[in-house]
Amino acid sequence: MSELLRRLHYLLHRRRLDAELANDMEFHREMAARDGRRLGNTLRLREEAREAWGWMWIDRLAQDLRYAARLLRRSPGFTMAAVLTLAIGIGANVAAFGFFDLIVLRPLPVREPETLLRFTRHSPEAYASTLPYPAVAFYREHSRSLSAVLALDSGKLAMEGDQNRLDAHFVSANFFQELGAAPRLGRLLDPARDEPANAEPVVVLGHGFWQRRFGADPLVIGKTIRLNGKPAAVIGVASSDFSGLSLDEPDLWAPLTRQPYFVSGSHLLTDWSNDGSGVRMWGRLQPGQTSQAAEEELRALAAALRRQHPNVTWKDESLPSQPGGYATGSMTGTRRGTGPAPASELYPVAALIGTLVLLILAVSCSNLGSLLLARGVAREREIMVRVAVGAGRTRLIRQLFTESLLLALLGSLAGLALGYVVLRNMLALTGAPPWLDATPNGRVILFAIGVGFLAAILFGLMPAWQVARQRHRATLMRQILVGAQIAASCVLLIVAGLLVRALDHALSTHPGFEYQQVISIDPGLATHGYSPAQARTYLDTLQSRLRELPGIASVCLTSTPPLGNRMMVSRIEIDGRTISVHINRVTPPFFETMKIPLLRGRSLQPGDARSIIVSEPFARFHWPAENPLGKQFSTGVDAAGAPVNHTVVGVSGRERLVALKDPEAVEMYQLAQPADLASLVVLAKTSGPPEDVAAAVTRIARSGDPTIFPEVQLLKNSFRRKLRDAEGSALVVGLFGLISHLLACLGIVGVVAFAVSQRTKEIGIRMALGATPAHVLSVVLRHFSRPVVVGLALGVGGAAALSQLLRRELYGISHLDPVSYLAAVAAFAVTVAVAALLPARRALRVDPVNALRNE
Amino acid sequence: MPVGTLVLLILRVLRSGPLHGYAIAQRILTLSSDVLRVEEGSLYPALQRMLLKGWVSAEWGISETNRKVRFYQLTPEGRQQLETELSDYDRVNAAVQAVLRLA
Repeated sequence: MSELLRRLHYLLHRRRLDAELANDMEFHREMAARDGRRLGNTLRLREEAREAWGWMWIDRLAQDLRYAARLLRRSPGFTMAAVLTLAIGIGANVAAFGFFDLIVLRPLPVREPETLLRFTRHSPEAYASTLPYPAVAFYREHSRSLSAVLALDSGKLAMEGDQNRLDAHFVSANFFQELGAAPRLGRLLDPARDEPANAEPVVVLGHGFWQRRFGADPLVIGKTIRLNGKPAAVIGVASSDFSGLSLDEPDLWAPLTRQPYFVSGSHLLTDWSNDGSGVRMWGRLQPGQTSQAAEEELRALAAALRRQHPNVTWKDESLPSQPGGYATGSMTGTRRGTGPAPASELYPVAALIGTLVLLILAVSCSNLGSLLLARGVAREREIMVRVAVGAGRTRLIRQLFTESLLLALLGSLAGLALGYVVLRNMLALTGAPPWLDATPNGRVILFAIGVGFLAAILFGLMPAWQVARQRHRATLMRQILVGAQIAASCVLLIVAGLLVRALDHALSTHPGFEYQQVISIDPGLATHGYSPAQARTYLDTLQSRLRELPGIASVCLTSTPPLGNRMMVSRIEIDGRTISVHINRVTPPFFETMKIPLLRGRSLQPGDARSIIVSEPFARFHWPAENPLGKQFSTGVDAAGAPVNHTVVGVSGRERLVALKDPEAVEMYQLAQPADLASLVVLAKTSGPPEDVAAAVTRIARSGDPTIFPEVQLLKNSFRRKLRDAEGSALVVGLFGLISHLLACLGIVGVVAFAVSQRTKEIGIRMALGATPAHVLSVVLRHFSRPVVVGLALGVGGAAALSQLLRRELYGISHLDPVSYLAAVAAFAVTVAVAALLPARRALRVDPVNALRNE
Repeated sequence: MPVGTLVLLILRVLRSGPLHGYAIAQRILTLSSDVLRVEEGSLYPALQRMLLKGWVSAEWGISETNRKVRFYQLTPEGRQQLETELSDYDRVNAAVQAVLRLA
């Protein structure tokens, strides 16, 4: 231990102690000279003496770094090209990791995010991400392990004078307090004042909404606004860096206990049923409690609840928790279904993006590696001199690698800057909330340096080894580098091609139903507590009024509006084979309104309680060789436990109404029953452009009940919205692919040009002996044909493997789609050929006389 | 100079009092009747190692030629190390002698 301290002491006082040693040896020399003896090389002796302290590597590193810096300064062109290439490769990785960090690793800006948990419902047969509000109240009252329980329900409210409906979050009154939020203006919700049932109705405005709609007016506090026709006082404005517990920014917050006030007739607060919308639940752990303890307690409470309300909780219901203080906790929005809960899609997507950005890094590094090898030739003399003076191979490699490390450090810094710019623009373009800050934190900076180090190893180590061995003329290394570049950018280009083609396919092919001229009207009767009889009256009136409107061709009802956000999926088992089916409860005019063809059988008729129409892929899956009409299967069990059998009466086409992307989605249609009426949506097909009739339709929709504010949408807008994601990802990956392709082509240009300049003499001799231009070209390019072919093959293989992860995003195109692959490979081959031929042409202009003269 | 004995010799020589580098070499040379010549290239590295290990410490002093130079002296750890090395050396020496005599 004290030895270490002595070493450190030496390190800190090196100069003084070395001078003292020099003095000692100088004195020794004088005395020895006096006695007639000669001393050896003092300098070397002093160095040997210094070695004992073990800090020589610092000196060597400093020396190498100084030399590397000098070298880089002397060739600014190379340095800039290298740093730029590295910046692109590292920057892409930094941007991707920065995004991942923001969404998954960084806690939301709330108080003590580590103690927040998001709870969802699970049982062996079903899952749901929301709970009935009375259940949440029960857990809040009886839980000992949670110090606070938060609830949230999102909804839409119509504000007087505003065309669009507002996004509102109804939250428990302790929401802002628990999250430690401070208001920008006024006050936020307070449990004491806003929780009681008779409290005055108040709202808190979101910061963005306050700026957009009220022009950041400070006098908005205390003003009354009318939401869904009901007055409410504005008590405050949230600050711009308040995130809530989710990634979406609502326009305003209101107390959950006042939701029935705004949404008249709503049963949210008293509805125990599993089909109601329910609320999202978070809890904060008591200090010292673990999430397992909380889950155990909630499981026991759920069992206790089941004894009191046997129909509303599931058997063996558990409430698993997820970290609530992170953005991932908000990603399970509102989902429910039977069977096991589907796995999170986050990690496959993250893995895919990670692989893509690593490919870009690979292209950058191979590019740079070839550059370094080329420079190795130019530094031949320097290396030879060093070897002659006594440098060992390890020393040389260490020095060359230090140069790569310095380059990598510069590249990391540039990549960090570039990644930050890219991420910030990406966040701005996708309309991310303002509290998502793209500024790199310690983790991102460390990641950038780590990636830089990895890049240094990738592009620097092998060339350093080759150059130190003075074997840089060997072509194998170069061929490997060229092949690697080609393979990596080929994969990116193919994947981009697949996404572009999928988008084109989605836009151009008919989804199996008519959407250009259909308007959907969603009155949301269920949230207003309409009974089936009331709903029937309302809907019948609405439909007959719409039919009277000129310009409307047909009207129908459905439970899941096409191209909407609602999905009902069930697993149906027939003869041992299970399939996931999208369920639609419709009225008979549905097929005519949506122009869905009926390939066999008949449409649904009033009174058809147990008849079903299935889509063609369903029929093909279960009854490939037989006539499906008349077949029976069960869709589940009724209250007594007996299977509910349905008969197939018709087969529709290949339409996919909601899950456009999923190639395996199949549809099933049943007649809407009275129980479904309150959740049905009206669809109206127009005979001309839907925009012409939209205003009249909205007027009619509002005329039914003044407390209801139906949402009117043109299906063609919904279609465009659905494709926005696909457009975004095609754009981004396309950009990646083009940039890496450009880098690869530049790399090839450089390598071929270099090869030409190296072999000028040989080319001169060949031309003097009468070689044809074609022969000369083939000689120059021969070395590169193999790596290009191997690279292309690897690229195609890699793309085929990678695109497996993309299958769900391809809108039905096979991930091995030959058109995309061929187009990408062809485009690639052509550009690579051009990139190689351009510098190779220079070989043809070699003057044999000059070439032979300049040895 | 047998390997490893240089440190032992320096420690022993310094037991009698602090000396500067040249004096240590001279003392060893004289006491061994010109047989054990300590090269400068081995003396100073050895002294640095002993400084690192804490067996000697260096203090400034004035030489006989009125020049400022560092004098090396034994530390208590150095004294202990000297005892250890002496006993080791005796043991090894006796063993070698035994083999040479009896083999």
